[in-house]
Amino acid sequence: MLEQIVFYSLSLLTLASALAVVLHRNTVHSSLFLGLSLAGVAGLFAALGADFIFAAQIMVYVSGVAVLVMFVVMLLGRASDLHLRQINERWMAALLVCGVAAVGLFKIARLHSATVATGAPRPSTHDIGRLFLGEWLVPFELISLVLLAALLGAVFFTRTENAR
Amino acid sequence: MTAPLTLSHYMIVAGLLFLIGVFGALTRRNIIGILMSIELMFNAANINLVAFDRFLHPEGVTGQALALFVMTVAAAEIVVGLALLLAIYRGTDTVYAEDFNLLKG
Repeated sequence: MLEQIVFYSLSLLTLASALAVVLHRNTVHSSLFLGLSLAGVAGLFAALGADFIFAAQIMVYVSGVAVLVMFVVMLLGRASDLHLRQINERWMAALLVCGVAAVGLFKIARLHSATVATGAPRPSTHDIGRLFLGEWLVPFELISLVLLAALLGAVFFTRTENAR
Repeated sequence: MTAPLTLSHYMIVAGLLFLIGVFGALTRRNIIGILMSIELMFNAANINLVAFDRFLHPEGVTGQALALFVMTVAAAEIVVGLALLLAIYRGTDTVYAEDFNLLKG
């Protein structure tokens, strides 16, 4: 019973704040709701027993990505933005796309309506470390190169002309 | 409410989160709003990966490791995206997607 309460409340929190991210007129509020939605996803990871992913989600998304987005929103925001519409005029076509995709997604999700979890979840940090430094060593090193490239790209794109 | 949680519960939540992200990416005028919607889609994919790991292959951690890779790529994407946005804003003085119609604005 506790499991169901946790799942439904976290899902409600995640989806409601995701809707607020998409529909809110004020981008500052949108970015605050993004942090709430990502925290709800972290809670869902915890409900699934993925302890390491839960911690990584809090550290990377809630305290990294959400704060970065908020910073840029406040850097670029203008007071006049609050009076402009934030949704373009093709929202009905987008709604149609989402409706068609929803039918397909629900048909696939129905295939697993009898799959229940077996056994208790166990701590995964040790196994993830073994996997990353053993079988998946090459992808693990490659992803660090991706991060380095992102770092250099961010510095390259944001430098000013006269700093050359 | 008291029926046991199945894989399809998690898939439906992830699917709804993904659809909200798609709707936002298609309709937001603000580039920052589009980037936030893309983050929501990444998170929906991560919920699915972790749920498949828990329900279908509880003996391994492959799904969780893949979710970590997705998380890393998403972080790199948002950093480069926001840096590009700052560079574009300096040249065009706008954050709305429909105004970005010149490659050398």
